[in-house]
Amino acid sequence: MNSPPPPSRPPLRSVLLRSRKHTILGVDPQKLIKYFFGSNASVAIIVLVLIMVFLLREGIDFLPTYQRELQTYRRAGLEFCDIIDQPLQRNQALSSSLRQAVSASLETLSKPARDRRDAAFLLKRQVEDKTARPRDSLTQALEKTPPAPEQIEVMRHELKAASASAVAALSYPDFFSAAEREQLQREFAALTPEVTDLPPLLQALVAEFSTKDREARTKFAPLVQAQEEFEDATEPLQEVVDELKAKALETKEKAVEFEVLETNRVRLLEAAATEKDATEKASLTKEARESVSESVNLEERIKEITGRTAELREQVEKYAVVIEKAAAVLPQDAGTGAARTLVNEVREGIPAHAREMRAAAATLEGWRWDKPVSIFSVIGAFFFGTQWITNSSWQDFFGFVPLLTGSLVIAAIAILIATPVSVVAAIYTNQFASEREKEMIKPIIEFIQAIPSVVLGFIGISLVGNLIKDVSEWSWLQWVPGFPIQERLNMFNAGCLLAFMAVPTMFSLSEDALNNVPRAYIDASDALGATKLQTVFRVIVPAGISGILSAILLGLGRVVGETMVVLLVAGNRIAIPDFSAGPGVIFHPAHTLTGIIAQELGEVSRGSSHWQALFMVGIVLFAISLLVNWCARAVARRFEPHKA
Amino acid sequence: MSADPTVKTTPPPVVQVRDMDFCYGTSKALFDINLQVEYHRVTALIGPSGCGKSTLLRCINRMNDRVPSARVTKGEVLVKGKNIHDADVDLTQLRKQVGMVFQKSNPFPKSIYENVAYGLRIHGEKNKNALDEAVERSLTHAALWEELKDRLQANALALSGGQQQRLCIARAIATVPDVLLMDEPCSALDPISTLKIEELMHQLAKEFTVVIVTHNMQQAVRVSDYTAFLHLGKLVEFAPTEELFTNPREKLTEAYLRGTFS
Repeated sequence: MNSPPPPSRPPLRSVLLRSRKHTILGVDPQKLIKYFFGSNASVAIIVLVLIMVFLLREGIDFLPTYQRELQTYRRAGLEFCDIIDQPLQRNQALSSSLRQAVSASLETLSKPARDRRDAAFLLKRQVEDKTARPRDSLTQALEKTPPAPEQIEVMRHELKAASASAVAALSYPDFFSAAEREQLQREFAALTPEVTDLPPLLQALVAEFSTKDREARTKFAPLVQAQEEFEDATEPLQEVVDELKAKALETKEKAVEFEVLETNRVRLLEAAATEKDATEKASLTKEARESVSESVNLEERIKEITGRTAELREQVEKYAVVIEKAAAVLPQDAGTGAARTLVNEVREGIPAHAREMRAAAATLEGWRWDKPVSIFSVIGAFFFGTQWITNSSWQDFFGFVPLLTGSLVIAAIAILIATPVSVVAAIYTNQFASEREKEMIKPIIEFIQAIPSVVLGFIGISLVGNLIKDVSEWSWLQWVPGFPIQERLNMFNAGCLLAFMAVPTMFSLSEDALNNVPRAYIDASDALGATKLQTVFRVIVPAGISGILSAILLGLGRVVGETMVVLLVAGNRIAIPDFSAGPGVIFHPAHTLTGIIAQELGEVSRGSSHWQALFMVGIVLFAISLLVNWCARAVARRFEPHKA
Repeated sequence: MSADPTVKTTPPPVVQVRDMDFCYGTSKALFDINLQVEYHRVTALIGPSGCGKSTLLRCINRMNDRVPSARVTKGEVLVKGKNIHDADVDLTQLRKQVGMVFQKSNPFPKSIYENVAYGLRIHGEKNKNALDEAVERSLTHAALWEELKDRLQANALALSGGQQQRLCIARAIATVPDVLLMDEPCSALDPISTLKIEELMHQLAKEFTVVIVTHNMQQAVRVSDYTAFLHLGKLVEFAPTEELFTNPREKLTEAYLRGTFS
């Protein structure tokens, strides 16, 4: 038979068996590839977990550390002093208002005289600046021993010529009469280094001002007197408080020193216990013995402070009586309207201040130095503390509220500005723009993302700040709360720049959301005779609303986490913004959660309470970001029925 | 149009397509179409895929306007005697007169009530009673009222596919159009839902003029009074349904009905 042999087939059993493949280290390459991809995906998760662990490890010790610090603060009596000292700070604010009122009042009479005096002195300074070189040479020549009369003569001549030319170049304000100008010119031209007395006209101007000032002070005598009395009223009380404060601080320093030495000693002893080498062990033990410091008898020392409670209360009462009296005799009239407002504010502020002082004094009795500081009050002191004070010679406070408020207000401003801009831009681009416009708008807006934030900060400092300040001074915009603004670097400025940074994120995501609205909805609406606008606002935007909301939330996340711009532009004043200013508060400076970390972390010693406090802030920031992102995802799921 | 009283009983065709050519850019999609759609009758458009049935349907309410470069190059389309491409025709009003139901049900992600009321709202109806009435009437027409009257505020996307499609019909008839265009309304539905919609169509024909595009020849037989057969953009034959299916005049129609060409 010549027919070709049938193709050989492997036996059935071996077909079903897995064919032998190449293996790498005994593992199927396909699996290896799978593991490679899987491990890359898990790197992100691992890093995230590591970040959380690291943040927690550094930050979680903050609470016990801060608890210890607050304990010392209480035991050494600092807290006792602060009971009186804190409300007493209000005195400064009130007396500064009064001082302003007084000087505004005095100026109504003395301003022209003062201006003339100041202008004359300014002119004299200008002449002196311009003739500085010949004058210096002349002074040196005069001091030289033996003197060289010819040289001096030449220099005098030079100085005279320089003065003459400088005098000729001056421009004289209008309030000098022609005769006065001439006299000034003469006097300035004749200035020499030997004569230290003022020229006659300048003396006359000085005298004129002091006469006017005296006159003004007599006219507003009651106001001036009230102001002085008010300022002096704090003195006896402040004296007592300062004395107690000094004592408390001393106690605290001793206690801290003792604690440091004590921990050091314990550590040395521990090391000695595990040390094998005999000589090393001996030296460690010796060192430990030397590290002993005298322990502080807190109870005894605190008695020296609390023992004076009665005296302190008495002083507070006296102080309250004096200031109330001062408030009563505050005159109704002041030189100007603004001054009158200030005086009225003070008049109303003083009784409240006095009440506050008395209430504070009343709590002194109930204060106990040995009351333990509970961990809950420490948590409260951090999360609800209104003061963030660091590197203080008195006491550090780590209160979170000023930073949080700053961050939230800035984020709110940014979102309020960015949301309409980006959503409207997205609607326009997605629904109304021609293809050409789309090709222009989208890359341009997305390009904003590429601008380094430090550059934006620059723009904020150099451009936006000045712009806002200039605009705020326009007379027809004075109805805007907070105008004219005081600070170029403020929350509004930072909010504007952050809004600009958030726009690309919010725009792109909103645009995607609108793009994802099913075509069929638009068909249905069109077929019912809806106009373009009706379709957009009744169908497309409602259907895309979840995407738009989640875009806004993700923009918020970006804004809260942004650091560079707020650090540069927000003004960095660590205090709760003064919300009593109404909406104008947005023009006040503030500090932020992110800014404080960036600013302070580089300067604190590792492991200190301040360091740990910054990590706590980091943890909270992290939690806020997680929360915002989670909300964005939840919102996207919640309102997306057509994707279900 | 004649005012002759004798013609009153047989009103003129509500939709007339005359010698119409239609192009997408440079490629011609429809050639010289002539079609008359009679009042309160169901007219079916059949033909193989890509023959231009849907395009022809979309010419009647100018849904093709949205496609750039798509346009009628010759002839005219008249709705109630008015050329719909005239400059003084308001597209919004035209679409109010000519409703449309799509192949895939597309209710808005709103409540059932809002879906039906949408057409009225965009045409300016604000009176709550009028809206309530219209919603009830339309849902009743679409045979949905009994099923849904207790949950009008429920989201329309929670309904079944067949209910959604009937809701779309209710939405389309809420503005009381003269003509209702249906683009393969049952192609995505199961047989029972299909049956319900076919039953519905007989009811609808009492009040509306229906033009339906269908892939399914049996459906055309079941629901329509007139049938137009299109092939490669040309209207091959247009006749009363019974006549066309039992006694086609054109060879092409016969071949298609027998299924002897692909």
